[in-house]
Amino acid sequence: MLRLQESTNRWEILYRRFLERSFNILIPLGAILAAFVISSALIVARGANPLSAYAALFAGAFGSSNALANTVTRMVPIIMTGLAVTYGYRSGFFNIGAEGQLFMGAMATTWMGITLTGWPAWLLIPASLLAGALAGSLWALIPGYLKAKRGFNEVLTTLLLNYITIQLFEFLIRVDHAVGLGHPFLAWIGLKDPTQPFPKSAYITEAARMPSLTSLLTWLGGTAEDPAFQRFTLAAVVAVLAAVVIYILLFKTTTGYRARAVGVNPRAAQYMGINVVRTTITTALISGALAGMAGSLEIMGFQHRVIQNFLVGAGYDGIPVALIGQLNPLGVLLSALFFGALRAGANRMQIVSGAPVSIIYVIQSLAILFAIAGTVIDLRPRRLKQAEIEEAKRLEAELALQSSPATGTDILGEEARHV
Amino acid sequence: MFSQLLEIFTSVAFYAAVIRLTAPLLLSAMGGLVAERSGIITFGMEGMMLMGAIGAAVGSYYTQSVLGGLVFAMLAGMFLAFLYGIMCVTVGANQVVSAVALNLGALGLSSTIFALVFSNKALGVVTEVVSVPSMRPVKIPLLGDIPILGDILFNQLPLVYIAFLAVPAVWFVLYRTTIGLKIRSVGEHPHAADTVGISVVRVRYLSVLFTGLMAGLAGALLSIGMLNTFQENMSAGRGFIAYTAIVFGKWEPFGILLGTLLFGLADAIQLRIQALNLPIPYQFWVAFPYIVTLLALVLFVGKATWPAASGQPFKRESK
Repeated sequence: MLRLQESTNRWEILYRRFLERSFNILIPLGAILAAFVISSALIVARGANPLSAYAALFAGAFGSSNALANTVTRMVPIIMTGLAVTYGYRSGFFNIGAEGQLFMGAMATTWMGITLTGWPAWLLIPASLLAGALAGSLWALIPGYLKAKRGFNEVLTTLLLNYITIQLFEFLIRVDHAVGLGHPFLAWIGLKDPTQPFPKSAYITEAARMPSLTSLLTWLGGTAEDPAFQRFTLAAVVAVLAAVVIYILLFKTTTGYRARAVGVNPRAAQYMGINVVRTTITTALISGALAGMAGSLEIMGFQHRVIQNFLVGAGYDGIPVALIGQLNPLGVLLSALFFGALRAGANRMQIVSGAPVSIIYVIQSLAILFAIAGTVIDLRPRRLKQAEIEEAKRLEAELALQSSPATGTDILGEEARHV
Repeated sequence: MFSQLLEIFTSVAFYAAVIRLTAPLLLSAMGGLVAERSGIITFGMEGMMLMGAIGAAVGSYYTQSVLGGLVFAMLAGMFLAFLYGIMCVTVGANQVVSAVALNLGALGLSSTIFALVFSNKALGVVTEVVSVPSMRPVKIPLLGDIPILGDILFNQLPLVYIAFLAVPAVWFVLYRTTIGLKIRSVGEHPHAADTVGISVVRVRYLSVLFTGLMAGLAGALLSIGMLNTFQENMSAGRGFIAYTAIVFGKWEPFGILLGTLLFGLADAIQLRIQALNLPIPYQFWVAFPYIVTLLALVLFVGKATWPAASGQPFKRESK
């Protein structure tokens, strides 16, 4: 009898967990759908047919190998910044500074690719990626240190740093780049192509670029006739791998456990014997590295040089990507697909239906609002809810680490509250 | 070079510019302060300001009057504030996250509205230079005739006066009226306030709506005050700077005035000095106000006391 009882319970728990999981997917999907429905009002106001506008959007994102290449290209940087925000947010460090860290990463990677032109690809590709990750981490160390040691709110400091970073970038792409020692420091770190009058860098050397599907096929002895294949590069593979690594790091390792514990309740984490200061700084470094790699992958996989406004907003996009992805690294992949497709298809939508590109921001914004509202308001059936309340007490300790972290508040609660 | 700098810092126009550039931040920050004291994090002012900017441009265009523009600006700011209120008060979602989402939405909505209203119907893009009726400076009689000071302080746009008058007004309301007491008690001890019969929900909604109204006016000051048109993302982070000023001013009206003046000063300096051809790159001066704000935060702001219930959704049963 008792055995039977236990096993029913176990099945019930599994069943409830399954429902819980499916709600994790249903909420963002419902939110996205609702966002599309409401935004269609704006398209109607424009005098266009929302259905044909959305059809054009879809065709522009998935309709051809070229469209698909566009979507994948758009996805790569926002997967990385989405991961940066996810890891930070889960761990109590709300990284609004992914934008700035991305620019730092892009600059470091470009510098490698235009300076170390003699290096072989097997060395230069990982080195360039590492340089981008390091640049992003170092940039995130400033707000990380200020938060961990001095209690400054990271939202403010990272945000202000973004504005400063963009100007640093604007400056460096106007300073002629010189290779080798014996040049003034400024010329050494400058990024501008001296042979060109415009504020942009030279293309990075062939060996620093991510191999594409075309080069893979050629290497295998085949031929790739579709020019879109050149835009499916290893960068996308790296981004997907990064999501898996961050998932494991966050949910299957002690580092991730400590980080999430600090994210849920820094004070309780400290009582548990976790070094909150060190954990916060580590979190900032990891989050910054991911954002920096977003810039690296964009340069190595796609643009191959930095130019004014080369990738504006991908850092900020990481926030909605992370939130729609339910702050789960694997969810980030799916939500990046949604955002990447929106961006890739927007131009076609405007050309075909006349609905302005800026509508996609409205769609994104509504999707996030509905998603976070859906997470807070319990939409589950009442029967299930009551069963869960009973179950909740037993699972409380475990669930506490999966529910919303206390991000945005200060590290040790009210007493240590600074800015 | 030194004489050129001296020329800038002794010119009346420079100080008038400081006052003018401070005003939108001050308007927004004074509105934000009220919501902050009621326990709402006002990270969404950026979007409210942007909505105000487009609202003012559209209103001014349709009514062909500045006043119509201002009314639209306030309504547009309050519209976004109302959505923010729903998220923060009724839903009880994370406020910073909701604000980030709404700021993004305002960026898209304002640009979409601009395209809808002003674009060439055949081409679907804005082809002409849009110019709508805009505010004119109003010289205050008598005070405006004071040498130097009159030109700096009393020959400004009407909204600039309102911005500076808002400082003592907000101070008075917060510390000398029952409404202010209610707002502060809701921000410090929502449950205690609830027990004595204050509606936490209503106070927070009204406070956020007030923030929307003021941030909307700040946006109007950008679009139909300093210019006569709307530009995409024209708030350019000023809503965030206003938020920083609130933290910098430690949630006190006169401290915030100081914070916004500091940024206005940095902004005026960067505008003037760029023209000088100093051996310092132009980009440094563009970043200058942000560098000053960051350094001011890190170096001079000590321990700040946040309203105790800041950012926490209020739920009756969770007493």
